[in-house]
Amino acid sequence: MLEVSALEVRYGAIRAVRGVSLRVAQGELAVLLGANGAGKSSTLKAIAGALRPARGRITLAGAEVPYGWPERMVRLGAAMVPETRDVFPDLTVAENLRLGAFTRRRDPAGIAEDHARVVELFPVLGERAGQPAGTLSGGEQQMLAIARALMSRPRLLLLDEPSLGLAPAIIERIFAMIAELKRTGLTILLVEQNAAQALAIADRAYVMRLGEIAASGPAAEIRAATDLKALYLGG
Amino acid sequence: MLDRKTLLTLALLLLPVALLVLGAEQLGVRVLERIAINLCISLTLVVGLQVFMGNSGILSFAHIGFMGVGAYASAVLSIPVQMKGMALPDLYAAVAGLQLSPYLAIAIGGLVAATVAALVSYPLMRLSDAAAVITSFALLVVLHTVMLHWSEVTNGPRTLFGLPKATDLHLAAGVAAGAIVIALLFKESRTGILLRASRDDEIAAAAMGVDIAKARWRAFVLSALIAGVAGGLWGHFITSFSPRAFFLKETFVILGMLVIGGASTVSGAVFGALLVTFAFEGLRTVEASLNRAQIFAEQVVGLTEVALALAMIGILILRPGGLFATAEIGAARPFRSTADGVSRPIRSTPEEPIRSNPTEKASP
Amino acid sequence: MTAALQFVVDVLSLGGAYAMMALGLVIVYGILRLVNFAYGELIMVAGYTLYLIGGSALPWLVMAAVAVLAAIATGIMTDYVAFRPVRAKSVTAVLITSFAFSTLLQNAALLFISPRPRNVPLPEIFSDTIQIWGVITPVRNVLTIVAAAVLLSVFALVMKRTMLGIAMRAAASQFTMARMLGVPANLVISTAFAISGLMAGVVALFWLGRSGAVVPGIGLEPLLVAFIATVIGGMRSLQGAVLGGFLLAFIDTGLNHALPQNLLQFRDAFTFSLVILILLWRPEGLMRGPATGQRT
Repeated sequence: MLEVSALEVRYGAIRAVRGVSLRVAQGELAVLLGANGAGKSSTLKAIAGALRPARGRITLAGAEVPYGWPERMVRLGAAMVPETRDVFPDLTVAENLRLGAFTRRRDPAGIAEDHARVVELFPVLGERAGQPAGTLSGGEQQMLAIARALMSRPRLLLLDEPSLGLAPAIIERIFAMIAELKRTGLTILLVEQNAAQALAIADRAYVMRLGEIAASGPAAEIRAATDLKALYLGG
Repeated sequence: MLDRKTLLTLALLLLPVALLVLGAEQLGVRVLERIAINLCISLTLVVGLQVFMGNSGILSFAHIGFMGVGAYASAVLSIPVQMKGMALPDLYAAVAGLQLSPYLAIAIGGLVAATVAALVSYPLMRLSDAAAVITSFALLVVLHTVMLHWSEVTNGPRTLFGLPKATDLHLAAGVAAGAIVIALLFKESRTGILLRASRDDEIAAAAMGVDIAKARWRAFVLSALIAGVAGGLWGHFITSFSPRAFFLKETFVILGMLVIGGASTVSGAVFGALLVTFAFEGLRTVEASLNRAQIFAEQVVGLTEVALALAMIGILILRPGGLFATAEIGAARPFRSTADGVSRPIRSTPEEPIRSNPTEKASP
Repeated sequence: MTAALQFVVDVLSLGGAYAMMALGLVIVYGILRLVNFAYGELIMVAGYTLYLIGGSALPWLVMAAVAVLAAIATGIMTDYVAFRPVRAKSVTAVLITSFAFSTLLQNAALLFISPRPRNVPLPEIFSDTIQIWGVITPVRNVLTIVAAAVLLSVFALVMKRTMLGIAMRAAASQFTMARMLGVPANLVISTAFAISGLMAGVVALFWLGRSGAVVPGIGLEPLLVAFIATVIGGMRSLQGAVLGGFLLAFIDTGLNHALPQNLLQFRDAFTFSLVILILLWRPEGLMRGPATGQRT
């Protein structure tokens, strides 16, 4: 589904991502792990089109994705939930969700259907439908951001550190939600610092260190390799 | 406070001024002397503008308005008493009998401009950048309106005449040199450095305890002082003027000079003024020949403005910081290539995928 | 009583025009954070368009529509000429290019048409007076109130209900995120400029109605109005712009009545002083714009 080869991202003279290659098969949940500053977020942002890579090739379902065009990614079927969530604070929850379906705006029936579906997944969004999104708690905003991404019926979901800044109880619920989404057949690429919980639900894992992939393989393998954990993941 | 680079810059910037004076004297041609004096006055104006705009990062449209304030204030004080009776028949008794030396009048003109700026501008210094720019524009219009209607003092929309011709090349050059020195000193002063820090990162500066509004205010007042003196200087050169001389067209010209030269640096102000003045003189000759040759049915007017507008747009596309974008001339390093295939976060409003060239750090 | 009503009608009609004017400016600023100095020239363009087609036998409404379309087109053109090339550079760069573009347009009018005022065709109904609730006022003023009410309501509706409106409001707070949801940047920006042109075009019709003629500098006063109304309303708030417009109209009309004859010519200076006082009290303006921060 997603293939990335030789991706390079630079900030000035600093090479944040050097020659990263990864792939996520259809229906897989792949997780990108690494310590702070390893380059995980930059990789994801480059894939989503929010960052312009210096080099590299990104292919989504066989189609090559041009650099720096976030609008394109979503039309090709990818949806990104950034680490800052970026809900639109002055728009209501319902409006945020509706905007998530922007690419399908000619299909109001479908949108209504999806709206019902996400509310089922995240009941709190139904309760707070008329509230400005800025008044939601951190966990609720995260749910809104994910729900909003789902509204475009993506084939690939890109999640950037969904657990960031959330209380442990909420994190558990979020991860349960992500696992549930995977079960429905969605392909997911997850960037996380919270290695333990991410590996528990992932199929495949990539470990990044200083801008490069230091290790990759089935999640179970990576999980078992304790020395890797200590070195790169910090628990 | 004044390191070697700054001193070198000072020397290099005063050089053209000195050359100008020598050149005009040696050649002894009246026209050249006129151009040289105008150039020195423009230099003073643009350098004064740089003091505020360059250090605070805020575009100010009001500058020419303060030039007008200085011009009229100095005029009212220096026009010979008998002349005043004819030129400003309704002038207030307190001032009507005064006749000061033009030099004193020019200085006081500057102080009046600075005082007006001090009183009016403090609340404006706390505005956000865009609001501050907009308000400075409004301030220009208001100053212009006052000049246009306060007939007792300005003779209204009509020409005010009778100023003694006190400005010669030496005075103009001296004032210009002084302005350059002041601008450089201010830039490297505590207020100047703090202000520039706040320009680059407002939140960080505020967190350090910088009172941004106060620093901006100081720069604005100093800037108005210089503009006021330039106004007095100009008034006593041209000996008669009207409020029309202190409005949008002139604002556009000095803004163009500063933008093309580079607003962040005093060198930019100086070279911008030099460059544009020479270009203008050239264009004016072209315009005059075109009119003489009667190529167009009507008089060709506005050619210089159009050319300046295009030049400004061009510079802003190619080199947004101006010719001297970051370093003063005394600290300039050889030109380095800026394209190196660097990743940039996409800007919020691109109309096409972002080019690889990193953009200049936001500078006014 | 009649005097009070007269005052109300004056403020409403002037306020309506001011509000539309301010809205056209804020809509571009809110999304792009860019001040359009060439905004006043849109009124000039509408005026000169009317002048140029004034000789034809078309009904006035058609000519007016063409003039408004010209304003819209020029608005969109401003984006391509003055904004897009330098948008990524710096905010100041855009201010200056739009200022340069404004000068360009004015000088073009000066060069190719004339520096002297040119008459524009106006429907007779504009100068007719009408009597409502005992107040005699030009029909034009009433029409301004109606037009403003209609335009502002339609605008509010579009912003609140339609997908485009939601997209534009979203773009005003998180432009990149909106793009990540597939909102095409171009569309949003061009629409903002088009709406800006529409507002200016409609205001132009009424503005021209006051003097009956167009000069190259006609855009300065409306620009100033838009600027001030926006600043006191709150730079990025759409509702603030409307509120600012009415407030400014209130101040102007009030000063018109309150100032003694000899001070009337300084009315703008007094308005500005009052504005400064407002800004002393509320530097960010009366209403907050779209938030850009996050709670977590």
